[in-house]
Amino acid sequence: MAGKSAFNPYDMARAQFDKVADLLDLDPGTRELLRTPLREYAFGIPVRMDDGKVKVFRGFRVQHNDARGPTKGGIRFHPQETADTVRALAMWMTWKCAVVDIPLGGGKGGVICDPHNLSPREQEGICRGWIRQLAKDVGPLVDVPAPDVMTNAQHMLWMLDEFEAIHGAKYPGFITGKPVGMGGSLGRTEATGYGLVFTLREALKELGIRPDQTCASVQGFGNVSQYAIELYGQLGGKVVCVACWDQADQTSYSFRKASGISLEELRSITDRFGGIDKGKARERGYEVLPGEAWLTQEVDILMPCALENQVTGDNASGIHKRVRVLAEGANGPTTPDADQVLKARNVFVIPDFLANAGGVTCSYFEQVQSNMNYFWEKDEVLGKLDVKMTSAFLAVSELARRKKLFMRDAAYVIAVNRVAQACKDRGWV
Amino acid sequence: MDAAGAGWCCEMSDLPPTDEKALAALQERAKELTCLLSVEELLHDTERPLEEVFRGVIEAIPPGWQHPELCRTRITYEGHDWQSPDFIESPWGQCARILVQERAVGSICVHYIAEPPVAEDGPFLEGEVRLVSTIADRLGNYLRQRSLERLLLEFSRDEARESERRLAAWRGGLELVRQTDQNLYIRLARKMVNFLCWSGVREAQDLVERHAGGDNGDVEGLDNYPCRKLSLAPDFYRGTEPFELASRYLGDDEIFSRIQRWMFEDRAKFLVKVLESQQSSLGEIADALRRYQQLVPEDSSLSRATLEAMKASLINRFLTEQLEFIKVAKQHVDVGAFLDLLDRMIFPATSHGKLGGKSAGLFLATQILRRAAASLPGGAEIKTPRSWYIASDALLAFMEFNDLDDVIQHKYKEIDQVRLEYPHLVQLYKNARFPPELAKGLSVALDDFGDRPLIVRSSSLLEDRLGTAFSGKYKSLFLANQGTKQQRLDALLDAVAEIYASVFGPDPIEYRRDRGLLDFQEEMGVLIQEVVGTRLGRYFLPAFAGVAFSRNEFRWSPRIRREDGLIRLVPGLGTRAVDRVSDDFPVLLAPGQPRLRANASVDETVRYSPKRIDVINLETNAFETLELPDLLAECGADYPALAQVFSVVRDDRLHKPVGLLLDPSREQLAATFEGLISDSPFVSRLHAMLRQLEQSLGTPVDVEFASDGRDFYLLQCRPQSHAEDSVASAIPKDVPRDQVLFTARRYVSNGFVPDITHVVYVDPRRYAELEDQQEMVAVGRAVGKLNKLLPKRQFVLIGPGRWGSRGDIKLGVSVGYSDINNTAVLIEVARRKGNYVPELSFGTHFFQDLVESSIRYLPLYPDDEGILFNERFLLGAPNVLAEVLPEHATLADVLRVIDVPAATGGNILRVLMNADLDEAIALLAEPGAREPGRATTELAVRRGEDDHWRWRYQMAEHIAAELDPVRFGVVAVYVFGSTKNATAGPGSDIDLLVHVRGGDVRREALVNWLDGWSLCLAEMNYRRCGYRTDRLLDVHIITDDDIARRDSFAIKIGAITDAARPLQLGGRVAAPIP
Repeated sequence: MAGKSAFNPYDMARAQFDKVADLLDLDPGTRELLRTPLREYAFGIPVRMDDGKVKVFRGFRVQHNDARGPTKGGIRFHPQETADTVRALAMWMTWKCAVVDIPLGGGKGGVICDPHNLSPREQEGICRGWIRQLAKDVGPLVDVPAPDVMTNAQHMLWMLDEFEAIHGAKYPGFITGKPVGMGGSLGRTEATGYGLVFTLREALKELGIRPDQTCASVQGFGNVSQYAIELYGQLGGKVVCVACWDQADQTSYSFRKASGISLEELRSITDRFGGIDKGKARERGYEVLPGEAWLTQEVDILMPCALENQVTGDNASGIHKRVRVLAEGANGPTTPDADQVLKARNVFVIPDFLANAGGVTCSYFEQVQSNMNYFWEKDEVLGKLDVKMTSAFLAVSELARRKKLFMRDAAYVIAVNRVAQACKDRGWV
Repeated sequence: MDAAGAGWCCEMSDLPPTDEKALAALQERAKELTCLLSVEELLHDTERPLEEVFRGVIEAIPPGWQHPELCRTRITYEGHDWQSPDFIESPWGQCARILVQERAVGSICVHYIAEPPVAEDGPFLEGEVRLVSTIADRLGNYLRQRSLERLLLEFSRDEARESERRLAAWRGGLELVRQTDQNLYIRLARKMVNFLCWSGVREAQDLVERHAGGDNGDVEGLDNYPCRKLSLAPDFYRGTEPFELASRYLGDDEIFSRIQRWMFEDRAKFLVKVLESQQSSLGEIADALRRYQQLVPEDSSLSRATLEAMKASLINRFLTEQLEFIKVAKQHVDVGAFLDLLDRMIFPATSHGKLGGKSAGLFLATQILRRAAASLPGGAEIKTPRSWYIASDALLAFMEFNDLDDVIQHKYKEIDQVRLEYPHLVQLYKNARFPPELAKGLSVALDDFGDRPLIVRSSSLLEDRLGTAFSGKYKSLFLANQGTKQQRLDALLDAVAEIYASVFGPDPIEYRRDRGLLDFQEEMGVLIQEVVGTRLGRYFLPAFAGVAFSRNEFRWSPRIRREDGLIRLVPGLGTRAVDRVSDDFPVLLAPGQPRLRANASVDETVRYSPKRIDVINLETNAFETLELPDLLAECGADYPALAQVFSVVRDDRLHKPVGLLLDPSREQLAATFEGLISDSPFVSRLHAMLRQLEQSLGTPVDVEFASDGRDFYLLQCRPQSHAEDSVASAIPKDVPRDQVLFTARRYVSNGFVPDITHVVYVDPRRYAELEDQQEMVAVGRAVGKLNKLLPKRQFVLIGPGRWGSRGDIKLGVSVGYSDINNTAVLIEVARRKGNYVPELSFGTHFFQDLVESSIRYLPLYPDDEGILFNERFLLGAPNVLAEVLPEHATLADVLRVIDVPAATGGNILRVLMNADLDEAIALLAEPGAREPGRATTELAVRRGEDDHWRWRYQMAEHIAAELDPVRFGVVAVYVFGSTKNATAGPGSDIDLLVHVRGGDVRREALVNWLDGWSLCLAEMNYRRCGYRTDRLLDVHIITDDDIARRDSFAIKIGAITDAARPLQLGGRVAAPIP
């Protein structure tokens, strides 16, 4: 193995936890319990390959903590999956569910395989084999899987089908990420983008800024970004700059229009992956600027909704002094160096695992609807999402204000605290 | 179809002036033609009773004459008369004799029953006089053919009966021949005597000598003196003696079948003559072929040798003079197939031209598939589009007609001048006129095509030859082919002229200059094909099209083998699949593993699905590229085979379209070909077809195909070509270890990357030790910057694990395609960790991007046995990162940038990759010295040549097995050099390394024993290939000491490159010396 000091996501997750545990002054027992997963499963999945030979794949499931409810988390197909990666991700799921206060714990699973080397039939074999090995240890009231890296709705349906075949009944609530009409929830596409703006709206309220007097710059033009822009626009806000990736040029561009971009207009000249046609954009009066220009715009709000590590120690200093809020639609868009700059500049950061928790909340709604076998209209889903996101935000920001914590830390603190509390209430520690 | 043959596109060139008299003359000609045609029709059928035929001819004649109402006819045959009811022998008459075998058997007379109006040159027109004799000739031929047919009929009828009756059959038949066709009889008799002589019948030889007259000396003569001539009296063969003799030695069955075969061969003789003569033009060959077809309905009635000779000549005349091609092709074609070809061939009157490579390849492939149709799944359903061919020398006729001959010199000009003048040349050609015979031929072709869109393709004699990938150097032009006939014809002529001009375009000329093909007189055939497809709104397009390769050079998974092949599939015209288009992607498939897709997730599948489509716009008569969604919005519902080509993208899933409910204007569709791949036999059939073609042609192939949604069409077939940068490189052996940067022996594709000046190396060990994820991200970012800074395609990226890893970036440097898109080679290093070797990505994160921009991918497994990985150089050479990217100088431990010339004193890095051997090597070498890698590229190992090493290798194995280790004190025997490396030629020796551990006596015995073998093998080799050497073995004897000192040839044992291979020794394998 590599040197002892090498980067290890599990070590990193535990270090992060230890920091929060210190803040909370958690007792050693609780620390020990929360630092490690409650249960781990590792097993072989024999699959008959297309050429008639049998290959055995390694499968995992980690259930980090279920004090607050059934564990929930994705299943990844990855050729170099390691137990430590899965442990770290399961732990993060626990905190993520807790921060939005949904009654679920954290889990994660996977199979060491590369779907690029597998036919669909072989992948189906892996999915069904995974369920056969775990059928007694997962379930709608125990552990609820979802799609993740290199898995999609198709894999979920195979797994659901196998689970239901084994248990001899229909359990649509066993798995999430199902297509609408097959136990999926409406509003899923909008959930993350809308969730982001729900928290943004509350943040502005707190800062005493009227949304209709703000303008924003957004990085990315995919699902999250487009729905965020839509809802932000409905609140009266004006997006003046959008950055997105150009597949043909293999670089990104920022599209700026001082009078405010038109979502519909840009959508009409955008491909499925959020790439805006720059020629057509110019025709429609947009300035086409370099990809990094979104960050330096004179705006009140920045919404990085594309990739991780976009706001760094190097470029954070270029952020315009007018910027008041940075709402993290993407996962990990801000590096720790940049955090320092933002703190110093007194920019209000809505941390990713709160800001983009709309997705996991909607998964929870899918599970709820599936368990009832009664499905809500989209408005109802989005209304309930608003309630959840708003109260989650309020709790975090209240704590941040009260304890003078950076928002990112406050979010962690509240999440860990909720889980620790549940463990104590159950008398585990 | 038949009438459209080239035979008559060459005749009607002179139109008469349009005065009244001429018009009348023209009408008369038309009448005569009609008459001749009705007669021809009657004579077509040899089964019809003779009387009926004569009556028919009598009725057919009057309408052809100037005064039909006065015209009466009489036919006399073998003493019988047939005539028009009121025939009288008037003074106004004309007669012609009917001859069969130069014997007058009757006559045909035409009379006017009353005096016709006075005319200048007698009662009959000149044409009418000719017409009577023509009809008489035709009747004569007909009667001859009829009697022969009868004869054969007798023969074949008798064949069915019991064998004792054959006696009578052949005797009767022969007698008939003797009476009707003396010459044929003599030839048969001569063949019979010859046959008997060859069969060793002494009596026959005596017979010959007796009838030869003169003394009975030694007929064979002396070595250096002409042998005596035996002149044979022809009378001898006129008698029955030869056959009487035969009946004493041969069974009736045999005599019968021999005579039958000889008679068939006799009838085919004229064709052989025409084919053998270099003088005969395509027109003459065409006529001969047509006659042959009528006379010899089945090829099988000829002897194999005659047939093979005919086929070889036909291929030589029509397709190519390349012996390699002829050798293969003659096994697969039928003589009759050429006739179909001729019907659609346009050529100048005295043409000696050929079809050209493209047409020849398609023709041969079609023949192969037709023959294999029964055993090939779906083979019978493979179609080829309707095609017309312009013979290659029509280009010369065209140039001559327009006095453009001096253009030929054009190719010897400097290339920049060629480039400069080319546009003018194109215009010159486009404004030139076509020789009337060609214009007429094209006009006929156009009538045959109707208003289907066409593609006009060059089919050069240089193009698509074995070993020369000339693809894409000449033009292919699409024609919408809409409008009036004249407009369409003008467009077609224009296109052909442009194709002709492209011969002198700068690119082909440069290419030819590079290959030493410049002096080759370039004749260019033209292939005109109907475009496969259907009308869709205002467009015309196939449902899908693509190219398929029998060998896969772009494996995206280690599970895919080379022989699984590769398909590049696009909706619409195949142009987007043939060429790499930077802004779009074809769907990639390995037909041998159709379920292992290049793209696994929905997102990838959609991202790398074709976004644009090439079509022909029938309204603007133009070739267009459309955005696929626009086309689907306009007329998607009618898209041919919609459900096979597209999947619906909904809820982040791909759905197979279900019947009626699909509304392409409202759904998002992606061209995935899912229905075609998983619900139709398309892939398996195409795979079977590729395998068949590869097997029959003896070389990997690539094909172009298209489908209109119903049928599968083969558009082109040729030996698998490579882009210039993806030919198989020869892997040099015996390279000093310090000049090797790395070697690879797993999942190697073809490639040759000559001039690498920089190496970017991410040290796997250091990268794994990075503590902070931010540092890993920074490595990716620095690589992205280097990608922009270093010279494009002159650097390689070498890094751990999976380039472009997402999520867990510990597994590989986190980069996007834009961070690596200028590299020449993307290299992934899999270092053993504990007891496992991590899986590599095979570039899957941006696989299709790599393919479309020709970036090579290479996985390295440094810990595999026998693999060289020069870590000392990679870690020891000066790191210039801090100079190139000062802001990332802190990463210098992990990220190393090596300026190769600076670090090696002027050398560059060269990566040679050979998929056939599954080997690659990276060498530090002098710049410019390209030859070692270039010397034997492409199809390097051909069947005939690889016999030499194989035989040598077998002999070496045999010697080792025979060798008594105890008697000679031998520990081990190794083979190395050209025999081991499969490069031995006819003059190569066999390099053996013998490890001994014994005294001098035993050693001397060994040397003697081996020397015996060496002499013997030299003799065997001489007999095999005529190459004279004294000895064939090159034996190197080594001792334990040599091995210990790693002296002389001992280093070959266990060497890194080109190690000697141990042989099975008297029952056991030599253990490699540790």
